[in-house]
Amino acid sequence: MKHCLIVDDSRVVRTVAGRIIQDLSFTVSEAAHGAEALEICRKDMPDAILLDWNMPVMNGLDFLRALRREDHGKDPVVVFCTNENDSEHISEAIRAGANEYIMKPFDAEIVESKFAEVGLV
Amino acid sequence: MQESTFNELADLALRNSGQHFAPTKSYLMDARLSSISRRESFATLDDLVQCLKARPNPRFEQEVASALTSKKTRFFAERETIEQIVAHALPQRLKLSKSGKLRIWCAGVSTGQEAWSLAMRIREQVGSPLASAQLEIIGSDLSVDCIETAKRGVYGHFDVQKGLSIHRLMTNLNRHDNGEWEIKDELRDTVFFRRQNLLNPASDLGGFDVILCSNVISGLAKPAKRQVLETLCKQMLPDAYLFFGSDEAIEGLSSSIKPSRDMRGAFVRAGTDSATAAA
Repeated sequence: MKHCLIVDDSRVVRTVAGRIIQDLSFTVSEAAHGAEALEICRKDMPDAILLDWNMPVMNGLDFLRALRREDHGKDPVVVFCTNENDSEHISEAIRAGANEYIMKPFDAEIVESKFAEVGLV
Repeated sequence: MQESTFNELADLALRNSGQHFAPTKSYLMDARLSSISRRESFATLDDLVQCLKARPNPRFEQEVASALTSKKTRFFAERETIEQIVAHALPQRLKLSKSGKLRIWCAGVSTGQEAWSLAMRIREQVGSPLASAQLEIIGSDLSVDCIETAKRGVYGHFDVQKGLSIHRLMTNLNRHDNGEWEIKDELRDTVFFRRQNLLNPASDLGGFDVILCSNVISGLAKPAKRQVLETLCKQMLPDAYLFFGSDEAIEGLSSSIKPSRDMRGAFVRAGTDSATAAA
């Protein structure tokens, strides 16, 4: 079973996204900010990461840049999932190494579609 | 909904679009007519049908019939078929074209995403012969509202996230400040939309190299299926390809078309398939 790490400071978003992604046959782990996520990745690099942008301690963009410098840090498919929905933020995320981008609010069909775009389902 | 209301609406759908409603699908009528019902302040569909009968209004009847059709679509809904068209059918047709023109008809295009998806995929063929072909993509639908939406090419937050990768979204659409996304001008040069009832002849549309008709046939009554297939078949240029939705059963409905021997998923006019003969 593939492993997806959900990184979001909202417990509600982690729970909702977690249920959707479990239904796509992933095991799910959670982190509330980028620094916590980086620790998890160093111990057990996930196959996919659903990543919020604005979070305390370490935001999503800084996490992504740090992740891509880690050993095997280029392996996970990273899907941003954020309220930052303008073209500038999207371009910046792609330049930093994001593979896909979900604009909040989202539903199960969007998550499945985006995961399909990057070959996760 | 009263049984008589269901029967009236089912008859109206059959007459206008050939659509078949089984009695178990009355909930679809409720869902699809809720917007019109609300707008016209009908408390129930029974009231709507009473009004249709008491004050016949062909325009309103047409609007109700259009609303009863399925609008379900999304970008790249028929992804494999689009790949087949772009990778094989169009290049094959281009080889046979003396003018370098290629015409594609997306029949029953609903709100236009399928036609735009084809245009996007073709535009990605940089460096291939398709890039220099003169392309014309016609999207048609029974519903005036759908065609207006398709022409506007403005789609909501949820629509653009289903079927479109972020790269395709950024390449082909511009974001408005209100969060909606609009098809870029570069795609609009080749894509046109118009209203067309597939039960009626479409000879004024001219001939096509490729026709894609997905998510239409399966919802129709059998005589209407045959009628629509005739309409489509008559607009196929010699050796043109006709594609349907991936889960739609067509075999046995028309003697005018047959599965292509060289193009997976495609149909050709019966008595042709010269591409195969030449191969």
